[in-house]
Amino acid sequence: MAARKHSESGSTDGHGASSPTARPFDQLYRDNVDVMYRFAYRLCGEAEAAKDLVQETFLNAYRAYDRFRGDSQVSTWLYAIASHACQRMRRKRKGEPERELSLTEFIPTSEGEFSLQIPMEGLSPHEALENKELRQILDRAIAKLPRKYRMVLVLRDMEGLSAKEVGGILGLNERAIKSRLHRARLFVRKELSGKGLTVDGHEDVTTRHR
Amino acid sequence: MADRVRTYPGTRKPTPHQGHRKRNCVKVLERLSAYLDDELSGDVCTEIRLHLGDCPNCEVFLDSLRQTVRLCQHRPSPPLSEKDRAALRRQILKAAEAV
Repeated sequence: MAARKHSESGSTDGHGASSPTARPFDQLYRDNVDVMYRFAYRLCGEAEAAKDLVQETFLNAYRAYDRFRGDSQVSTWLYAIASHACQRMRRKRKGEPERELSLTEFIPTSEGEFSLQIPMEGLSPHEALENKELRQILDRAIAKLPRKYRMVLVLRDMEGLSAKEVGGILGLNERAIKSRLHRARLFVRKELSGKGLTVDGHEDVTTRHR
Repeated sequence: MADRVRTYPGTRKPTPHQGHRKRNCVKVLERLSAYLDDELSGDVCTEIRLHLGDCPNCEVFLDSLRQTVRLCQHRPSPPLSEKDRAALRRQILKAAEAV
């Protein structure tokens, strides 16, 4: 997406539209709010917190607008603002462990943990995700990730940004991003591997649980 | 990421897990994301492929990691409603002008 800093095609209706910054702001908002909401929802896991984060993100963007030099994509700039806002807001999830993930904790310790106990055979990921329970287990696994790992997983695997872009957004080198991404994936994999699901979305009571 | 999906039905059971603790398995496990993301050199890829061919546990593990990544990549997220989009805009501009 190209930077649209100087666009003047914003709407003229509604609150604040007459102020000098409001029109380009409207353009920025219209072009990016859906992506930012999606990102916020993935980080927060629910709508209200996501809306708060979107509001905080665009408010900060509004205030910093004059300092945006256009040397990065607008979307990357907004991702960075949202990531920092998320870290600041510190909406602590119940039970979320803010801890370092070590590789050794992801080495399977029993036979059932090597594979995912979910019905994916012959299904595309999209089809597999039609299973409501699988979606819930996946969402819960992502929500359980310590924040700094969740942020990298969401930016890389869900938003589809490159390691370099994510490094720029979070102020880390690519090596650190890749290391966090790997641990985050292993964490989610482990969460999925211990769950038993049947094809119709009901939990299989015969499957061993951790 | 290599675009292939392989699943392992219950008929193929991994060998006892102790084998996975072998140094080679751990070394491979450390690199599986880089392997999936195609970030490794040809030599290292060959090394890993040889190990995977020799170690069903690691092969199954790799598939489960690949499936996990694909699920994350395809997990949709609910859209913002028109009403919320307009309400948020009003709130942002109100807050911006209040300062």
